[in-house]
Amino acid sequence: MPEFLISLTNIVKNYKTMRALDGIDLGIKPGVTGLLGPNGAGKSTLIKLLLGLVRITSGTGNILGHDLGSHGRQVRNLVGYMPEDDCYIPGMSGVEVVQFAACLSGLPTIEALRRAHEILDFCGMKQERYRIIDTYSTGMRQKIKFASAIVHDPQFLILDEPTSGLDPEEREALLARVRMLWTQCGKSVLISTHILPDVQAICDEVVILSQGKIRLNESLSKLSQTKSPSFSLRILGNEETFVKNMKQNGFPNLPNSEGDLVFESNDPRLAEIIWNTARESETKIHSMIPARNSLEEIFMATVKEATHANS
Amino acid sequence: MPIHEVGYRSWNGERTSQFSRWSVICVTGIRLASKPKWVRRILFVAWLPVMYWGVGFFFLEKTMDANDAPVSQFVGDFSEETLDQKISRERNKENARKRLNQLRNQLAILGIDDPGFQEFEELALANPDLINNFRFEDKSRPELLRSLRSMGKSQAQREGTREIRRALRNRFSLFPHTEDLVDSLDSGDKERIRNDVWRWLLMIFFRYPQSLLILFLIGTVAPSLISRDLRSRAFLLYFSRPIGKLEYMLGKLCIPAAFIMAVTTLPALALYIFAIMMSPSLTVFWSTWDIPLRILGASVALVVPTSAIALMLSSLTHESRFANFSWFAVWALGHGAWLAIVLATAMGSPQNAFHPAVQNSAQVKNWSMLSLYNCLGDVQAFIFGFESLSDVWRGTLALACITIFSLIVLYRRISAPVRV
Repeated sequence: MPEFLISLTNIVKNYKTMRALDGIDLGIKPGVTGLLGPNGAGKSTLIKLLLGLVRITSGTGNILGHDLGSHGRQVRNLVGYMPEDDCYIPGMSGVEVVQFAACLSGLPTIEALRRAHEILDFCGMKQERYRIIDTYSTGMRQKIKFASAIVHDPQFLILDEPTSGLDPEEREALLARVRMLWTQCGKSVLISTHILPDVQAICDEVVILSQGKIRLNESLSKLSQTKSPSFSLRILGNEETFVKNMKQNGFPNLPNSEGDLVFESNDPRLAEIIWNTARESETKIHSMIPARNSLEEIFMATVKEATHANS
Repeated sequence: MPIHEVGYRSWNGERTSQFSRWSVICVTGIRLASKPKWVRRILFVAWLPVMYWGVGFFFLEKTMDANDAPVSQFVGDFSEETLDQKISRERNKENARKRLNQLRNQLAILGIDDPGFQEFEELALANPDLINNFRFEDKSRPELLRSLRSMGKSQAQREGTREIRRALRNRFSLFPHTEDLVDSLDSGDKERIRNDVWRWLLMIFFRYPQSLLILFLIGTVAPSLISRDLRSRAFLLYFSRPIGKLEYMLGKLCIPAAFIMAVTTLPALALYIFAIMMSPSLTVFWSTWDIPLRILGASVALVVPTSAIALMLSSLTHESRFANFSWFAVWALGHGAWLAIVLATAMGSPQNAFHPAVQNSAQVKNWSMLSLYNCLGDVQAFIFGFESLSDVWRGTLALACITIFSLIVLYRRISAPVRV
């Protein structure tokens, strides 16, 4: 298996005077990769670029063994794309839409119908597949889009906001299907989403894009580790005195979104100091958990850093 | 888990050719567009004129057969002879009898006892013009004999089409190129008459009933073809697949084209086959082989600009009703403007607006490109052999410009959602 399915070098994309992508260097390994970024970061442009729908202004790239920009058609043969927006042909039933998508990708008509039914079974669509798609709920349309994206058995999947509009149960089921496509069928997936728990649930790698530049490209397991040992605490008793004493010892409390006390230090005696300070402050420790970086924190910090760097 | 669910399985079959993908768009589009009841009703109605024209071909073939007197009489009744024409015909007959007596005397003086004269006499009484216009007084003996024999033969051929000529003059004088047709009928050459009349009938079939039906059919089918894709963002479904913009355009263009051909080309070819079957011998094909080619040519001239305009209008909006309105407006305004020019020209001349002299005036010809309908009619008349290229170059140029402009706009509109 090649090290990188997608490799981009110094990719620039300009829309008239606006620079959407600014010197992108990116390598995407086989597996499930999360593409994160605030609105207007250039995610959609990057996806269209991967699909060969827009031309790059400069730079070089390779996707699934094909040159970026000159082999769009071959790339789209190998890639399945699930767009974020509603995208359907009014007047067709669910199964007809999936069959049509399969035919457009080159499956013979009868085979496309058989395959459409098979994939709709896989996606958990039952008799509603025979209903006209105009009458579908948002969740059902998401399923049809997902089925259309995988019906031609692509090597690589690009999913744009796949879980938006799904109820919690369906969301879990869809994420499980995506994960299964990688673990059991070897299909690599790129998920562009704003729902960070989705990325945390199934992704191996995370790419954060902001203001047209790659700000972070790292494996999720590595990102979850904190740079220095830290603990998240819950205290019973006088919290103020405890925090004051810790500060006097040189360990200020770090802000935490969940209301816990967080102390971070490179000092290997941090745990011992916490216990001693608690005893001195006559407080009891309710819980003391080694803290991990949350994806939200990483995302916020990365985007903030990018904004400061540009301003 | 249902018993038939097999989970996700890879697919390793052979894919269809890259060059046939546009046909998927076309076939699916035709299937979707045929679903509304109104479209199916219009398609049904569009085939009704075929029966009317079929009757026309039937009577044509029967009247050309001089032995089929009842049918000839039927066409004669249909041609509605006016009172003036009846009086004139009686006078002509009276004159013809006098002239025949004179001719008989002349023959007696010259000592001619020709057995063909009796046949000629019958023909001359049936068609008084023959003897009234025949100058026999100053002819020598051999000249007179030769003239009598050749006139008898050609008149027998002309006789069969006499009632058709009268029907054309009285009933169809408002249709274009009837005078050309009468000239052809006067020639007496059966093969030429057949070819000319078939071409004329098919041209009128394209120009009148089918044009109107196409207006409604395409007005129902085409407006939603691209506007619907824009509204429901279905273009992502197409362009995220191995489909190019030109293939998408081709697939979409073939949808209105298929509907137009279903109500013009197919019925016209069916009429041609029917006419061949009605004719006395299948060898008629050799004198009319060019007609199927002309039908195909006329279809292309109709299909390409019409489909391009319809799709361009559809691509300009997300709301198909606006495209629908624009479609009818383009036809109505263009034709209305052209008609205004015709009426203005007619007011400046003693003839009425529908008189060929008015419609062929230089001013009307110059402005004829305002009307899409008129441009199409001119080009089709050229293809069916009733106009010369020098007469229709304006219409051809206008159609070519409109088509190219429509295709460029269409391409840009299709590219726009993907570019951004």
